[in-house]
Amino acid sequence: MSDQPNLPPPPRAPALEAVNVSRWYGNIVAVNDISFALPPGITGLLGPNGAGKSTMLHMLSGFLQPSAGEVRVFGEPVWQNEQLYRRVGLVPEREAVYPFLTGREFVEMSAELQKLPNPKDAAARAIAMVDLESAADRNAGGYSKGMKQRIKIAAALVHEPDVLLLDEPFNGADPRQRLHMMDLLRSMAAEGKTILFSSHILEEVERLAEEVLVIVAGRLAASGDFREIRKLMTDRPHTFTVRSSDNRTLAAALVSDESVYGVELVDGTLHVRTSEFAAFTMAIPNVARTAGVSILELRPTDESLESVFSYLVKR
Amino acid sequence: MNATIIRLTFRQLLGQKRTMLMLFFALIPIGIAILFRFAGDDEDPRQWTAQTLLGGLTVGTFLPLAALVFGTAALGTEFEDGTAPYLLSKPIPRHQVVLSKLFVAWVATASVVLVVGLVAGIIGIWGEQESGIVVGYVVAIVIGALVYNAGFIWLSIATSRALIVGLVYVFLWENIIASLFAGVRFLSIRQFTLGIAGGIMDVPERIFDPRLGFAAAVILSAVAILATIWLAIRGLRRWEIGEAG
Repeated sequence: MSDQPNLPPPPRAPALEAVNVSRWYGNIVAVNDISFALPPGITGLLGPNGAGKSTMLHMLSGFLQPSAGEVRVFGEPVWQNEQLYRRVGLVPEREAVYPFLTGREFVEMSAELQKLPNPKDAAARAIAMVDLESAADRNAGGYSKGMKQRIKIAAALVHEPDVLLLDEPFNGADPRQRLHMMDLLRSMAAEGKTILFSSHILEEVERLAEEVLVIVAGRLAASGDFREIRKLMTDRPHTFTVRSSDNRTLAAALVSDESVYGVELVDGTLHVRTSEFAAFTMAIPNVARTAGVSILELRPTDESLESVFSYLVKR
Repeated sequence: MNATIIRLTFRQLLGQKRTMLMLFFALIPIGIAILFRFAGDDEDPRQWTAQTLLGGLTVGTFLPLAALVFGTAALGTEFEDGTAPYLLSKPIPRHQVVLSKLFVAWVATASVVLVVGLVAGIIGIWGEQESGIVVGYVVAIVIGALVYNAGFIWLSIATSRALIVGLVYVFLWENIIASLFAGVRFLSIRQFTLGIAGGIMDVPERIFDPRLGFAAAVILSAVAILATIWLAIRGLRRWEIGEAG
């Protein structure tokens, strides 16, 4: 028996982690002192063009060396650590595929390079997951943009990685394929995989990502659930649209509430601005009850990811 | 080495137009050898074959050109076409990638140049005493192809303009500068190859007299192969994706 007290197990390292990561090219700073740790689930990487998204993704995938700081997967540095690719799947942005290989051969090649015991079966499973069986035996050089994206995803997840990095994965995919891929990524996230994808289409990120990383001018402008981020932006009033049994009376009553910043009646709709999200949502039922007004609908109008993103970018 | 990468690279090279162009160029030394048999009556066939046909045309021009085409294409096209991340995002040690690519480029170069050297050489000295001329060149081509390919694979990792740098090396350095300054022979793969061929042949200096001795040529070839392979592996381990945004 050991005399030492029972120690708690060491904390599990995050699946994907950036620690004070910077990258510069000569005098140009592409990524500036970014730190984050991603939990299992889907995270969207957002940023305007040239913000440093691709640089960040390339560092996360081990294809760029950070000038300072470190990128880690399950606690291990990514740079010059090819064995980590057993646990990481990568979908690069460029739509290049080997044009002389069929889709099936391409995915089988990935399975063989991952040293899977049965590459053919693994490839068939991955191709089925991206719904590309019908075209799997055609040369990938003749694939449409969307098909190339899907076969790249199949090749990236053939070894069932714990971490999946996707650079603009929905480029060229039609709406049906997009929905299918979103469902696929959601199911992987539900299995505990960590998925990070970049996209310039905010609607995609809003529909798919539980968390966002927003990079603006090389810096991490925000990270986390974008609705929570929005609530923390106290320097910018929140806007609500209210429909009630008597908008004018409610407007008069709300003006006297401390949490309300301003009210506006436009075309019979009441718009309320508040600087305190929580205080307002707690106050409005009492205000309405006291004024004898029934609230029919209360909707935050600027809680979308687009609103959060444009605010962060303009800031 | 990795069998999957070898298979992939063979298919890559076979499907390229430049490979077809190389096969076409392969006919030139053979054609010239045939022409010589009919029209080159004044020349000594052994001297002409050893110095001009195999030494000049085959080893001096065709071998580096074929090695340049296959050596820079084996890994370089992966960078150019954007397929390198598929290969490099796998748990494959970088030395396996380099050695597999080198193996394919070497086999492709050596087999094409060997056939050319063998056929052209036999035609060139037909009816004469062989004296190890063709055999010497066969061995030299195999080793020379490895030295050139190791160098060009390293170049394709070190620069995105490997083809241009390679052409400058072959035509400016080896053909012009190395022929002007004898000291440069220690930095010329062509001279290593000729030195190995000369060491195996049993001919008087009048017929073939390389600038490097056999032992020096073998040692320099080995050093060049090891050094460029090491540089290539190191370069690939440090390889960074070009685009950043």
